[in-house]
Amino acid sequence: MSREPPVSIPFREYRFSRVLKRPASASGMLEYRADGVLVRDVELPYRERTLVSGEGVILQREGRAERRFPLERAPQLRVLLEGFRALLDGRLSTLRNDFTVRLDEAGRGWTITLTPLDATLARRLTALRIDGTGDQPTCLEIAMPDGASYTLLGPTPRVRDVPTRAELEATCRTPLAAP
Amino acid sequence: MKSRGWAVLAAWCLALAAAAIAVDEKLVISADLRLFMPAPRDAAQRLVVRSVGESPASRLLLLELKGEPAARLSELSKALAGSLARSPEFEFVANGSETPRFPESLLPYRYLITDAFDAASLTTELPRALEDRRHDLTSPLGSFIEEWLPRDPTLELLRLAERWQPHREPKRVGGVWFTRDEKRALLVAATRAAAFDTAGQARALDDLNARLREVKGATRATLGINGAGYYARIIRDRTQSEATWFGIAATIGLVALLWFAYRRFRFALLGALPLVSGALAGLAAVGFLFGSVHGITLAFGFTLIGVAQDYPVHLFSHLRATESPYATARRVWPPLLTGVASTCIAYLAFLVSGVTGLAQLACLTVTGLVVAALTTRFALPSLVGADPEVVERFPALGRIDIASARLPRPAALLAVFPLSFAAALAFAPGAFWEDDLSRVTPVPPALLRADAELRSELATPDLRTLAVVSGPTEQAVLEDLEALEPELARAIEAGHIAAADHAARYLPSEALQRRRQQALPDETSLRATLAAATQNSDFEPDAFEPFIADVARARVAPLLTRTAFRGTPFDLRISSALFARDGEWHALVSFYDVKDAGALATQLGRVDNLTLLDLKRASEELVSSQRTYIIACLGVATALLVIVISLALRRASRVLRVLAPMVLTTLLIITVLRAAGVSLNLFHLISLILAAGLGLDYALFFEHSAADAGERRRTLHALLVCAISTLLVFAMLAFSSTPILRAIGVTVSIGVLSNFFLALLVARERA
Repeated sequence: MSREPPVSIPFREYRFSRVLKRPASASGMLEYRADGVLVRDVELPYRERTLVSGEGVILQREGRAERRFPLERAPQLRVLLEGFRALLDGRLSTLRNDFTVRLDEAGRGWTITLTPLDATLARRLTALRIDGTGDQPTCLEIAMPDGASYTLLGPTPRVRDVPTRAELEATCRTPLAAP
Repeated sequence: MKSRGWAVLAAWCLALAAAAIAVDEKLVISADLRLFMPAPRDAAQRLVVRSVGESPASRLLLLELKGEPAARLSELSKALAGSLARSPEFEFVANGSETPRFPESLLPYRYLITDAFDAASLTTELPRALEDRRHDLTSPLGSFIEEWLPRDPTLELLRLAERWQPHREPKRVGGVWFTRDEKRALLVAATRAAAFDTAGQARALDDLNARLREVKGATRATLGINGAGYYARIIRDRTQSEATWFGIAATIGLVALLWFAYRRFRFALLGALPLVSGALAGLAAVGFLFGSVHGITLAFGFTLIGVAQDYPVHLFSHLRATESPYATARRVWPPLLTGVASTCIAYLAFLVSGVTGLAQLACLTVTGLVVAALTTRFALPSLVGADPEVVERFPALGRIDIASARLPRPAALLAVFPLSFAAALAFAPGAFWEDDLSRVTPVPPALLRADAELRSELATPDLRTLAVVSGPTEQAVLEDLEALEPELARAIEAGHIAAADHAARYLPSEALQRRRQQALPDETSLRATLAAATQNSDFEPDAFEPFIADVARARVAPLLTRTAFRGTPFDLRISSALFARDGEWHALVSFYDVKDAGALATQLGRVDNLTLLDLKRASEELVSSQRTYIIACLGVATALLVIVISLALRRASRVLRVLAPMVLTTLLIITVLRAAGVSLNLFHLISLILAAGLGLDYALFFEHSAADAGERRRTLHALLVCAISTLLVFAMLAFSSTPILRAIGVTVSIGVLSNFFLALLVARERA
């Protein structure tokens, strides 16, 4: 699914956590800029911009001071974000340094599953899964020990307002299940 | 030699052996550089001296791994750090791979340490914090804060970690510190042993090297070490190995010289007796009075060779077939005694110099010289036996004597000395005095440069500008530091500095902790606030039980003290920045990236109980005030010396002839050194005194010998042997690898040559 930047795509993320009584959601635009910076603009239900680069993460939120997280001090975050960027660039060989990579395909649908090799990262991140159809990624799943996050990519997310994990999994797997 | 002589010799040697064993057992050889540092006179100077030897920071070794690609080095760095963390010799090790962890037992205290709720209370801030956390969960950081959320919804730990993080950190490769060029991996390790505990440092260094060998396996990586403890070890090793080699070489040279001069092997052996006795007595005296002796003192002390070795030479050269050795000893005693007395007076100035190393040197020298002189006067005569005049074997002496007596001696020529001296003062390059303390310490300059470079790579705080807050109690000082915060914030705002750090950031005063404790909500109101805040949010209402428990614990916990930090990396930071001394408490405020020291001084000048230090200037003042004091002492010593000589010689013309060579030689040495661009330091002063003492001896004997031709030849023989033996020792020192010893060697060598010829030409009365 390697793309020539810049590319942008709408997203809707659902976050499940043991501290949440219902999934938290956010939607907006994801953009992979030509300078290699990943921009994540949340538009609803609040406004926020996250810039992810090789240097670190910058979080800009309306009415709050900007927060910076240099990747040097957060090695696990670095692995996760580097993995994500490698995926966007289609550099699977780089990914294999930090993850076991599995590719399942059925017809035009596919799923890439990344399992972290680093034990510290694995304590926080069980697996990273990207589903897609053809050259279009449709879904990003982050499985964590106490929760999960599902990011639906593309213009028309076909889910209820407050979906369950099962419904989201089903939605994400649909392209793979379809003939 | 008669049988009585043998008995005396045997008894003497036994006594020496016993003394040697006692000295060897009692005397500790120290490498503490502070022994050679001037005694501090005010707070700033005390800090300078403290920073060299005592502070926890001085136990830090800065390590660099090099010689392999960065990826390999970063693995080695991790392996070495892991291994050192298990070592009993090291207190802590850091390589950047892990930010210092807040100890679990201290976690509830974050609410007493943080300043986040000083303006608005926790209950006021909480709803907003929960809203932020809800948004954080649906951000790329979500998976990383989720683990801490139930316990720390305001992210106080993150806030403290950011606040405690060094302002700037070295570059990281593979998660560990590296130099900017990525060629060397950097580590910092603190030894348990103090910097100048040479035995402890040696154990730590051996342990470090063993662990490195184990870790590095077959790789070609090498380890560079820097730090006060390492320097102490290097200095000790160097001084010891050089002292050994010089000692052996000097002994062989002297024995050969004595054999050549007297053609009696016995004389060569007996000649060593006063020196050995003097040295042992001197060491015993230092051991008794000081407990330990500095390696450098020892090296200096053996320059005694130059002076004490002369005493038996005077006796041997003046022996006559027609005279008993006792009578000869009585005959050479007056000039010998005058020489000993004057040299001792000069060294006594060092005894009150306030520099422990110099006082040790004075003690060693004065005791050694007195014992060596007494040995020559009272023990040697019974051992040498009757001997034909040695000078008979050297007919050349007579020719030299006559030739030297015939040399033209225009007094006007002597004016060359003060004139060239004045020219050197006026035109020589560089400063007359060396004020840089780092150059006065015996640490090799290359090591100091490497140290400075490593410190800059490790982004340590500014080494030159430092503030000290002083007060009667620890709490008073902490409260002053807290009151200083707004000023520091303003200084950062104005761009004078980039950041500042002090102990109250880790350990707030008890008053402030108590205020924060009282401001924390009780469990009921905290639960009410949480319930209200979570009611309309996505959060589970009971998600934050661990948080409630921590706040409840913080409200009633006994106040945080520095002992709570024991065993954590923060311990070192606090104890090096907050300490008691002489009944007063002091806290250091360190600065990062000082851009405008002047503006900072103006701004912080208004703060009570605070002194802004310029450490470089303080150390320079320390050195120069010390020197002024020593020069004053030497002035008094010179006056005393002139009085002693006047009392001994009783005639102004004689006194003048005896003092002239020494004074002119001193001028010559300074002229030569300054013309070569050398700035003078304490060690040059010591050498000048030593050279002056030699000059005085030469002049006294030449002056004494003037009357009789045979006596003149005997004196010439004695002084030639003296001068050559001294030159032998000091010319060797001039090749030492230690800059200080080299300086002494050069200075004294010039002094010996100049003194000998001037004494020969000036001190002797025309026949």
